[in-house]
Amino acid sequence: MPKTLFEKIWESHLVAEEKDGRSLLYVDRHLVHEVTSPQAFDGLRINLRKVRRPDLTFATMDHNVPTSDRSLPIVDQISAKQIQVLERNCKEFGIMLFDIHSPNQGIVHVIGPELGITLPGNTIVCGDSHTSTHGAFGALAFGIGTSDVEHVLATQCIWMDMPKTFEIKVDGKRKNPHAITAKDIILSIIREIGTAGGVGTVMEYRGEAITDLTMEQRMTICNMSIEAGARAGLIAPDEKTFQYLKGRRYIPKNYDELVDFWRENLKTDVGAHFEKSFTLNVNSIAPQVSWGTNPAMTTDVTGTVPFPEEYAKGNPDEEKAAIKALQYMDLKPGTPMTDITLDRVFIGSCTNSRLEDLTEASRVIKGKKVSPKVRAMIVPGSQLVKRQAEEIGLDKIFKEANFEWRESGCSMCLGMNPDILARGERCASTSNRNFEGRQGAGGRTHLVSPIMAAAAAIEGHFVDVRELDVI
Amino acid sequence: MKGSVIKYERDNIDTDVILPGPYLKIHDYNELAKHAMEGLDINFHSKVKEGDFIVAGRNFGCGSSREHAPIALAYSGIKAVLALSFARIFYRNAVDGAFLLPIEIDENAYKEISEGDVLEIETSKNEIKNLTKDTIYKMKPFPELIGKIIAAGGLFNYKP
Repeated sequence: MPKTLFEKIWESHLVAEEKDGRSLLYVDRHLVHEVTSPQAFDGLRINLRKVRRPDLTFATMDHNVPTSDRSLPIVDQISAKQIQVLERNCKEFGIMLFDIHSPNQGIVHVIGPELGITLPGNTIVCGDSHTSTHGAFGALAFGIGTSDVEHVLATQCIWMDMPKTFEIKVDGKRKNPHAITAKDIILSIIREIGTAGGVGTVMEYRGEAITDLTMEQRMTICNMSIEAGARAGLIAPDEKTFQYLKGRRYIPKNYDELVDFWRENLKTDVGAHFEKSFTLNVNSIAPQVSWGTNPAMTTDVTGTVPFPEEYAKGNPDEEKAAIKALQYMDLKPGTPMTDITLDRVFIGSCTNSRLEDLTEASRVIKGKKVSPKVRAMIVPGSQLVKRQAEEIGLDKIFKEANFEWRESGCSMCLGMNPDILARGERCASTSNRNFEGRQGAGGRTHLVSPIMAAAAAIEGHFVDVRELDVI
Repeated sequence: MKGSVIKYERDNIDTDVILPGPYLKIHDYNELAKHAMEGLDINFHSKVKEGDFIVAGRNFGCGSSREHAPIALAYSGIKAVLALSFARIFYRNAVDGAFLLPIEIDENAYKEISEGDVLEIETSKNEIKNLTKDTIYKMKPFPELIGKIIAAGGLFNYKP
């Protein structure tokens, strides 16, 4: 019987399966960070358990680390403590840690792929919802909570009910791939299927517009699968995938043999059945800007802030939600999106902080200055991204334009370190969530692509990047 | 299990409002509880009582994988969240540590239950009694794995 890629990976990792569908899955890679792991390690200690496979477990610190000068001590004592606790735990349990001074430190979902820890066909878990990012490599990757982190540390396995399959077909060809980015594709998908559209499913992205994408762009797509509620996002690996990983630090010695196996096996068979399907055509999509307080509340940059009744299409709950969102965002229906002015711009996060994101942003920044009304920062996803960007002179372009050029980490995506919005501040952000208070209590977030964020920083308001000469 | 209702007529109550990011550095569960729901309802901490239930709309707990979210609610005294639907990581986190029961209810129950109503939940019968309104609602039965983890009293007591 023809099978989907998800079903193949799932079945090849089953350790046990009950008749009612409860399944125990083997975990190939476990990524750990400072925020969701302390209680898990405490649990191991209390129960006198060891880490089952320290060799398959990798840790870094990304959520609360400051992005300022790392030669200075961490001012926030509670953050400093959380970081020390991870260092102590990794030492005690024999886990590889990329600490704050490591040349490999970075956002866990940026460093996994760039170090070759993420491999096609793997099962990958991490105590972070954006673990779905690794699906870009044809890996089945789930975000989990701290109890499951402890369970995986102790057993290298996880109990799950089998998710359903959801095909996301992305057809067509983007007219201008600099202006219409992977971020615009995934925001368009979430806008259509909603924040709960993928609940209980693994979404496999397929079609010409997906194979067209680079690996970094595919990561942006899979990263935001969780914003549609999906358990995971998945893209079948191809030559781009194998080329991207080749020569990376932690790939297995028999990499070439594995590639032969992956090429043959890691794809959805012709005629395989998906339980749900959705199709997006990218031919006519515009750059996207979110206007509300969840990622589905998004519209075209050429559009206007919607009237709640128009957005709700007859659903009273949606209408109420839109009214509340517009109050929080301090926006009036009918306002052109390009009239929205900004106080802050953030380019970073596990969604959009990789070298291509920064290179794309630099196209509109080069030779320009950030609007005097805007404070703008760029936070590379990892120390490697930072070094690579500096090698090709991107840091100079950014600094000359008055962008702050920071150290790597999650930063203003979730407001756990000093990089936060003040109450009432409005931010164009390349991150993944525009929830109330996400970037700081009372802060207002508009989700956009890196090039849209960069253009907004220069102009002080949103602009349709398709109209810019450099694009 | 008997308790009174705190109701939020809202979909997509995300983990960032259930427990805002800056508090993820706190390890003491009772301290976490002081900031539960702070992003949505600044009065939550003063009004919540031991044994209360939250009633909410669709996709409760969407967003981050932070187990701190159900922990903060549980240590505030919340014994169950009754919602039209749940985001899956929150749903699992709620039962893994036996923090609280995530119960899916239907539109009718969601509309009828009011703030302050006293409910009695009988999971063995998949029933919710509204003692204030003298009505009985059906709850959606737990999926196999979730039901068995709940019955065992958490993930680490669960044996297949």
